[in-house]
Amino acid sequence: MKGYVVYFGLLVVLIAGCDKKSEIKVYRISKAPLEESAPAQQNAMPTNAASPARPAGMAAAASTSVSTPPNWEPQPLSQMRQASFLVKGENGAVADISLVSLGPAAGNVLENVNRWLEQLGQPPITAEKLAEITQRLTTSIGEVTIVDLAGLPKDADPAKDGRIVAAIVPGSASTLFFKMRGNADLAEAQKPDFIKWVAAICAAQTENKSPSMAAMPVAPQDSSAPQIKWKTPEGWTEVPPSSMRYASFSVSGEDDAKIDISIVTFPGEGGGNADNVNRWRRQVGLAPLDDKEITTKIVPMNAGSANFSTVDMAGGDSRVIAAWTRRTGRSWFFKMSGPGPLIEREKPKFFDFLRSIEFSS
Amino acid sequence: MWHRLVDLFTSLKLTIICLAAAMVLIFAGTLAQVHLGIHEAQQRYFQSLFVWWPPESRGFKIPVFPGGHLIGAVLLVNLIAAHLKRFRLAWRKLGIHLTHAGLIIMLAGGLFTDLFAVESHMQLAGGETKNYSEDGRGMELAVIDVTGSDLDQVTAIPDTVLRHDRTIDYWSLPFRIVVRNFYQNSRLKMLSEAEDGARPIANQGPGAMIAVQPAPRATGVDERDVTSAAIEILPKDGGSLGTWLVSDALGAPQTFSCGGRTWMIALRPARYYKPYSVTLQKFTHEKYAGTDIPKDFSSRVTLIDPERAVNRDVLIYMNHPLRYRGETYYQAGFQKDDSATILQVVHNPSFIAPYVACVIVAAGLLVQFGYHLVGFSRKRKAALA
Repeated sequence: MKGYVVYFGLLVVLIAGCDKKSEIKVYRISKAPLEESAPAQQNAMPTNAASPARPAGMAAAASTSVSTPPNWEPQPLSQMRQASFLVKGENGAVADISLVSLGPAAGNVLENVNRWLEQLGQPPITAEKLAEITQRLTTSIGEVTIVDLAGLPKDADPAKDGRIVAAIVPGSASTLFFKMRGNADLAEAQKPDFIKWVAAICAAQTENKSPSMAAMPVAPQDSSAPQIKWKTPEGWTEVPPSSMRYASFSVSGEDDAKIDISIVTFPGEGGGNADNVNRWRRQVGLAPLDDKEITTKIVPMNAGSANFSTVDMAGGDSRVIAAWTRRTGRSWFFKMSGPGPLIEREKPKFFDFLRSIEFSS
Repeated sequence: MWHRLVDLFTSLKLTIICLAAAMVLIFAGTLAQVHLGIHEAQQRYFQSLFVWWPPESRGFKIPVFPGGHLIGAVLLVNLIAAHLKRFRLAWRKLGIHLTHAGLIIMLAGGLFTDLFAVESHMQLAGGETKNYSEDGRGMELAVIDVTGSDLDQVTAIPDTVLRHDRTIDYWSLPFRIVVRNFYQNSRLKMLSEAEDGARPIANQGPGAMIAVQPAPRATGVDERDVTSAAIEILPKDGGSLGTWLVSDALGAPQTFSCGGRTWMIALRPARYYKPYSVTLQKFTHEKYAGTDIPKDFSSRVTLIDPERAVNRDVLIYMNHPLRYRGETYYQAGFQKDDSATILQVVHNPSFIAPYVACVIVAAGLLVQFGYHLVGFSRKRKAALA
């Protein structure tokens, strides 16, 4: 009988040991947040299909860019897109411009063109027909194939769709896809600038130059919140905002040190000063203070467009500088937190950032 | 001893007992779905070794009936053992051997599917790209080191590990996490809106302004628990960074610094990352003219896999799933306003088992009946001659 119990127990342990859902997992993922690269704005506009991931070889194009027309609004990059712009025209017309890179095997021009035609609701074409409609652009890194495709998919909004102008640059290590998709007239108007941009990117590949991207986009998450504008300090990287944040930035320092800058807004008072300051103090390991003591820690700051209250708290290796203002029924909180030395370095920029803020009302 | 064991596992009585127990279990499990919901009933009755009483945590529980996994496993062992004991290498037994082999594959495949298959879903809005799917039920506490410039290191702690007063000390974290409160299902309210006497369970982040009320487990097919927990962060070199509320109902991760690094914490549906991405190009939802009855719904997606240089569009619709890298994407649903499609993602290493089993069983039956038919017709011919 004992033998039965042993065998039965072994069977139970064998089956029970298969439970994998209680294991702690550790893994690394790319910074570029795919899930946050498609904000509400993208829901309303046509999308670029070619959106490959980790580029190889020529992927330097991902992080480098050349000067772009002022009406090309930079969009948040994703793991897939190495450059992304939105162009707005009259009567709500928009066009989406992107640069992506794929492996060399993805460079079959006919397959890609037919895929784009399908996206525009058009029938596929043959290789002979393709030869008739393609244009060639000779650049420093080789010959670029350019196609200009028109068609409006069923139920599509003509203000946002109707034309794809694309350029394919095959290479030994990767294939670059430049694509502009959007309103037909707007795409026509932007085509010369688009081709210039393609040529400039190709030239930049050869020269290995890396001029920095232009302005940062403003991507508020709460459409009911009033818009504010700011000038992003040099060296700050805007990261996609979360549902709790109006905007987020990050700054990297040496030894992987990093600070986080956030803009948060709430209707109403957003809690009392003492509650907020004590919460931040606890975050850096400081003991809470009473109302009277907190009042002495708050430093007013006149930043032109608004009067801010600011506090600067350091505990251990961590430091937080926060500023807030209340106006027209809303509270705005601006907070910078991270390792002390890096915060000290970025402190002047943080105050310049506060001075640059313009409230719409 | 050995003979008694062999006798037990090869006995037909054991088969009958297992089949009878399975019938009772299916009957009880089906009735239990009324109160527990399909998911919970499946967990308690079919995806378990035993059915326990009392089911909720009351300090003790005793097994009252064998669960689906145990019955299936015993039946599988019984079938294999009985077949091996009675195995005779002869052509006339080929049909029997094939039929039994098919049944063994089917049972083993069912057990493997239960143990190793992972079902999740991917919800995509128009134009959205994702490289992960999310568990429909399971949650995880994601503790993310966001200090690096290129990569985030994620420590994903499943909700099954998060229990009241449990301390989590893991090599990838410079701090310990103590679970101060854990609610499998909960309702969150701003303190200003909560009843008098409500207290926050956290003193850091937005949780300091939120009251958490426990709620009964969600049982409906379309319902899901709002899991919440209060976790205290204790640096390994001493002290406390305070207690944070993490909840599925809090949209955004919360940030703090520890050990000179910046960390984000969020309680979210468990994620399964993929080495490729899926972009929703277009979701189509057609209805019969003049009605709201769905006629067809489909998702056109772009699949991009840089490792394999794959970049292709795929149309996913009813009975036409996308199969890629061992995962199957089914068109499962959509948001009410058609703003997003919902794809069910199934990773089932033994998905082929039922197909193989059916073919083998069919072949076995064909051989067995064919053998008898030929024998019968020969005898008849001989009798007529």
